[in-house]
Amino acid sequence: MGKDGEGGGQPHKSHRVRKSGASAKKKSKSKPNSTEGLSKEQQKINNPKAFAFTSSKKAKRLQSRATEKEQKRLHLPTIDRNIGEPAPFVVVVQGPPQVGKSLLIKCLVKHYTKHNLPEVQGPVTIVSGKQRRLQFVECPNDINGMIDCAKFADLALLLIDGSYGFEMETFEFLNILQNHGFPRVMGVLTHLDKFEDVKKLKKTKQRLKHRFWTEIYDGAKLFYLSGLIHGKYTKREVHNLARFISVMKFPPLSWRASHPYILVDRFEDVTPPEKVHMNSKCDRNVTLYGYLRGCNMKKGTKAHIAGVGDYHLSGVTALADPCPLPSVAKKKGLRDKEKLFYAPMSGLGELLYDKDAVYININDHFVQFSKDDGANPEGSEKGKQRDVGVELVKSLQNTKYSVDEKLEKSNISVFGKKPHISEAPEAVGRDVLLEPVDHYESDIKDEDSDSDEEDDTDDENDPESLEKDLWTQSNYKEEIDLDRGRVRRKAVFENEMDIDNKDSGEDDDSDSGEDDETEKDNEAMLSDSGSSDDKEEDEMGNISKWKESLLERTASRRNINLEQLVYGTAGSKSSGDMKDAGEEESDEEFFKPKGEGKKKSNEGINDNDVDIDDCSKFVSTGSLKDWKNEDLIESIRDRFVTGKWSNAKLRNELSEGTVGDDDEVHGDFEDLETGQKYEGDHADDVGNSNKDDALAAEERKLKKLALRAKFDAQYNGSEAPDEEDDGDDDTKTNRGQSNGDGYSDTLKEKMELQKQTNIAELADVDEDKRVEIEGFRTGTYLRIEVRDVPYEMVDNFNPFHPILVGGLALGEDSVGYMQVRLKRHRWHKKVLKTRDPIIMSIGWRRYQTVPIYSIEDRNGRLRMLKYTPEHMHCLAMFWGPLAPPHTGVVAIQNLSNNQASFRITATATVLEFNHAAKIMKKLKLVGTPCKIFKKTAFIQDMFTSDLEIARFEGASVRTVSGIRGQVKKAAKGEISNKPSKKGGGKEGAIVRCTFEDKIKMGDTVFLRAWIQVEVPRFYNPLTTALQPRDKTWQGMKTVAELRREHNLQVPVNKDSLYRPVERRPRKFNPLVIPKSLQAALPFASKPKDLAARKRPLLENRRAVVMEPHERKVHKLVQHLQLLKTEKTRKQKRKEAEKRKVLAVEKSKEEQISKKRQREERRVRYREEDKMKKKIRRNPQS
Amino acid sequence: MGKIQYKQLKGSQNMRLRLLLSTLSSTPIIIEDIRAEETLPGLRPYELSFLRLLEEVSDDCSVEINETGTKFKYKPGIVMGGRHLVHDCGTLRSIGYFLEPLIVLGLFGKKPLTIKLKGITNDSKDPSVDTFQKTTLPILKQFGVPPEGLELKIVNRGVPPKGGGEVILSVPIVKELEAAIWIDEGLVRRIRGYSFSARVSSQFENEMLHKARGIFNRLLPDVHIYTDHKAGVQAGESPGYGITLVAETTSGCCISADTAVYRGGEEEDEFEEKKELSPPGDIGEKIAATLLAEIEQGGVVDSTHQGLLFLLCALCPPDVSKVRVGKLSPYGIEVLRHISDFLKVKFSIKPDPATNTVILKCVGCGLKNLSRKAS
Repeated sequence: MGKDGEGGGQPHKSHRVRKSGASAKKKSKSKPNSTEGLSKEQQKINNPKAFAFTSSKKAKRLQSRATEKEQKRLHLPTIDRNIGEPAPFVVVVQGPPQVGKSLLIKCLVKHYTKHNLPEVQGPVTIVSGKQRRLQFVECPNDINGMIDCAKFADLALLLIDGSYGFEMETFEFLNILQNHGFPRVMGVLTHLDKFEDVKKLKKTKQRLKHRFWTEIYDGAKLFYLSGLIHGKYTKREVHNLARFISVMKFPPLSWRASHPYILVDRFEDVTPPEKVHMNSKCDRNVTLYGYLRGCNMKKGTKAHIAGVGDYHLSGVTALADPCPLPSVAKKKGLRDKEKLFYAPMSGLGELLYDKDAVYININDHFVQFSKDDGANPEGSEKGKQRDVGVELVKSLQNTKYSVDEKLEKSNISVFGKKPHISEAPEAVGRDVLLEPVDHYESDIKDEDSDSDEEDDTDDENDPESLEKDLWTQSNYKEEIDLDRGRVRRKAVFENEMDIDNKDSGEDDDSDSGEDDETEKDNEAMLSDSGSSDDKEEDEMGNISKWKESLLERTASRRNINLEQLVYGTAGSKSSGDMKDAGEEESDEEFFKPKGEGKKKSNEGINDNDVDIDDCSKFVSTGSLKDWKNEDLIESIRDRFVTGKWSNAKLRNELSEGTVGDDDEVHGDFEDLETGQKYEGDHADDVGNSNKDDALAAEERKLKKLALRAKFDAQYNGSEAPDEEDDGDDDTKTNRGQSNGDGYSDTLKEKMELQKQTNIAELADVDEDKRVEIEGFRTGTYLRIEVRDVPYEMVDNFNPFHPILVGGLALGEDSVGYMQVRLKRHRWHKKVLKTRDPIIMSIGWRRYQTVPIYSIEDRNGRLRMLKYTPEHMHCLAMFWGPLAPPHTGVVAIQNLSNNQASFRITATATVLEFNHAAKIMKKLKLVGTPCKIFKKTAFIQDMFTSDLEIARFEGASVRTVSGIRGQVKKAAKGEISNKPSKKGGGKEGAIVRCTFEDKIKMGDTVFLRAWIQVEVPRFYNPLTTALQPRDKTWQGMKTVAELRREHNLQVPVNKDSLYRPVERRPRKFNPLVIPKSLQAALPFASKPKDLAARKRPLLENRRAVVMEPHERKVHKLVQHLQLLKTEKTRKQKRKEAEKRKVLAVEKSKEEQISKKRQREERRVRYREEDKMKKKIRRNPQS
Repeated sequence: MGKIQYKQLKGSQNMRLRLLLSTLSSTPIIIEDIRAEETLPGLRPYELSFLRLLEEVSDDCSVEINETGTKFKYKPGIVMGGRHLVHDCGTLRSIGYFLEPLIVLGLFGKKPLTIKLKGITNDSKDPSVDTFQKTTLPILKQFGVPPEGLELKIVNRGVPPKGGGEVILSVPIVKELEAAIWIDEGLVRRIRGYSFSARVSSQFENEMLHKARGIFNRLLPDVHIYTDHKAGVQAGESPGYGITLVAETTSGCCISADTAVYRGGEEEDEFEEKKELSPPGDIGEKIAATLLAEIEQGGVVDSTHQGLLFLLCALCPPDVSKVRVGKLSPYGIEVLRHISDFLKVKFSIKPDPATNTVILKCVGCGLKNLSRKAS
């Protein structure tokens, strides 16, 4: 964004508002209210009362919301330990198949380099600006590739087919990104030319944009590529996209900042060919090339190759940058073109620099072959299969070739140097072994035989055939035959190593080896020396130094000596060499450790004694000085505050104020390096040192200023994007800044200071030493050798699938139980089942494991869950390689490409790792009483053996009715006589329990216990790189899958089935109140149950006899009543009939009226509609 | 990855260090040829005790020892820490032997560690608990260890041969250490001493500190030696006395020297035994001389703590640490070697002839406390 501002040297022409015409009218019409035209600020000024807050509650809420937002924005600053120019930023282009990924990369590459990229294979590195390089990677279409890509992407371009809409891949990739640290994301809509209706296009764009925003954040950038012109995206749009990419800032991601990693952009098999001849399936040695990213990598770190496994990196070498920034690369002649891009897997870039060789890639039509080769195509093919010698002869037929060969031979005698980063440009010119070996020799011949005419289109065919040749199993042998260069190079490499070894034996002075080198070169040994690789690194440094002045050299030797004393010669670890080292440096009495002298003088046995007493305290056997002596006292007087402070200062000169930065230290060492004479000056001449002091102080001051400036610049830079985000409310931002000033600013300052000290401290260390101390810096181009990888990796190598090599920190290669907080993805259709294998992607790794889900109870117990909860987090525990807490995890159940559903099953974060997995599962033991005493009962069926009972002694039990009790002991003698008569089998299983009350025979007794659930010790790394990429990796199957495959039913446990519950009405015995109690009760509470009367009462017993008159009256009344009831009954019936008829009539009427109304309405609406249309039409016409 | 790859080592030398580094870097190790040639082959009881201590504080670590004890396998687990742990260190080596590695281990545990250690608090072979309290703990603070919860409490004193001492160590956990640039040794500002006497007359103490102070008084007025006369249970089970001297500098460095005097181990009359030993006055002079020798050497720590210092530097995040020490002690050299072996951290070692010291620089290995639980 800053760039836009930069361009504004001259003022832009301001917009002139239309004052007449249709658009002016329209504007005035649409905005009749004058206030609407004003900006919000203006309104506020004009009418401040309207914008004052009316309720204090609301104001408070607003304020709290603002602070909340502010706090959310704040984040702990992270230290960026990267020094020097960064590695190219990785731009991953991802999208569903057929959406135009490769085309986009091609267009971008074309835009940056003006070169046509025939095919996108592997990472393509380009120089995008003066200070920036980019590496484009196309994300493969399978989920494994997506996961790997998400782990190294700095920027992800999500390509979306606009005509189709979003596809699952996009969301899957987004989810993976979010969990593995969220790099920058930009959406790109393609296939927009398929829309014919502009309106529809607009709407679709809008819809897709908003959907994209909900997924990432509001305002996320979504690009539109409107269509193709000549099979390419339009230049303007690609240009705009490139602009956006080139100004993008990449925030550091915590996992990547703490782990080194390499995106491999070149891959070679360096197995000795005869070994492959002997056994084509032998373990291979491969070399991987790529820029180091993340953090510094030390030698000897372990690394994980995604999809292959964990390996020790047996050789790590820094190479010259194959695609340097224009500011760094030196142009030596006008003919030297700037190398703007580097894509060895795509077959581009002419020069390849290796550790000990340079490869030239010659375009096919520049190569001449002898005629007979071209004449019969069969011959060439035969030739490959026939013999190595024939190939050699054929290669000699090429005149240019042989000249190079000769050149190389003559150069070898000079060649004794490793082309190191610092000296690479020189080395190229002077004495690097030039080997015109193109890997593609084989296909050159193929092409030649197939088609005589060679033109530009050939380039496009080239990589295809190359790929076929290199990586198909059948042609594999050929490849090795043809790649003679590799064999030859290997020989050179070996010789060098030999010489180096020899040097290390002589301990120095490699110049003596000149003659030897030439001799050895001819020998061309191919022996595999495993352990000497690292050694070589150290010694190479010596060789590279040998042109420096002798004085400096001796000085540096002096410095190294102490280190040699400690670390010994490279490779030796035992304490045995201590003695040798000591003898070597006999002239330097002082710098010897104190133990040395003692050892030599006292007993020689101690030297090689591996069983020395383990004691940190150093007990000097030599006699102590007599500190009563005044001279001695005076000698250390200056070490005390009572002494002369100036002297002390002199002595402590180095340490003075060097906590922050210590440039003086640097200076002092320089003194040391140039020789000892300076030392004397230092000690004696106070004035001189004072001057030095002043100088140093000034320098320090300058440095601090510079540091401050740099820090300020950085601080402002980092704040800028934030201000953009919430630029609309300035006040808030300002407040936030003042808030955040305190803590985060001090942190930031501290970090920056730390970084500056790091740089300053390491500045005076020479290159090789620096690598030894801090490892390879990020941004270096590394060559990594890995030994004994399975041959499948080479066989199934596919440049379309990027290889990721991730370094492992200490302890991350050990295996244990991991606890993660996991949530099923809301788009995944099913809940997850415990013990169903699942694929986890943690850190660099992907592996299948068997998790146990659990949830934490109130009391901290982890209770096992059979299934994950529906919409909640739960804990999952599984066995696998350890990853540090807070690492993001993505879980996947199905890797296959052909299913439509969402593949991400769950997401998680690592909580901790543990070796003791304590997940508990509820266990309910059920028993029934077989004998009941007062409060004691014998319970049977609960346990199976006495031993079991003994285990549960004292456990609490309870009955269904809630009576609590306790397990006592196994019932032995007491009851044995009774059950043994029935069937003695259950004897042991009976337990005596006591309860708080007497239980019933019908009660069921429960014992609730918890048992620990074993987490299966299973984990299976996904070896997707070791199989054809189109094949789906098959790991452990779930039980359900196995059942489905074998057509097995789910086993049914009868006890688990539900049965109808029968609940008979309970019959209770009558309540009996003891007589004594009754007697004590008050009368009111006494049961008043008198004995039932045997004779009924007199009232009931007497008969009623009526008089005749009475009888008549009674009869009459009865008659009348009968009549009345009859009448009313008839009346009711009639009324009901009437009502029925009425209802029928009414319903009929209603129907008719409804119909009529509907008709009426229809007519009315139609008319209204017509009217509207008319009205609409009328004003326009 | 399926099979555990053990790192092969030989001999009983630096066993504590090896086990400590193995645990921190989670590298399983095999140590062979432990005193294979000696008349009493195999592990010593105190080494076994240390292994047991490791088992106590960590989780799922496994130790397999062969029959003769000349070889064992150690697979490190996760340091759990925890409270109310008790460990009996035995009477062969003093508690200082166990404290040195334990204090580093405790920093990288899952929970803060509080452990009661029983055994010998002071002897002449290992750093005393007083040294620990006054010198070692401040060193940790230089590397960003919070002072809260970092404590060593001396409950009982105990000297060889019977011991009976008791200390309580509590160590907080850290996320990671902080790199330190610590090259300013400063000037000695004051000297503090801590003498003790257990089951002997306090007169020994007085004589000892009188002589020691006599030497310092010519250099520095600010010398104070605290006495600590123990009796009863607190005095442990054997008679003895000792002294620890700590020189504090203007830049906050602590340089210490300590010693202890006790009966040799055979059952004898106490009075006669004392005659064989050098008089307390001589002890005082000797220890003062030792301290002065340490001060003369320079460096931010004394020779005893060099190993710890290097180890802490190596465990820092990948920033540059820079320290100044006097002459490298043999133990310090061993530590440097083992660090480069286990943690792959190499130091740049440069002598500083102007001050007769050595300056070491390193970039830490970036060890993070992985076992800490994420909240």
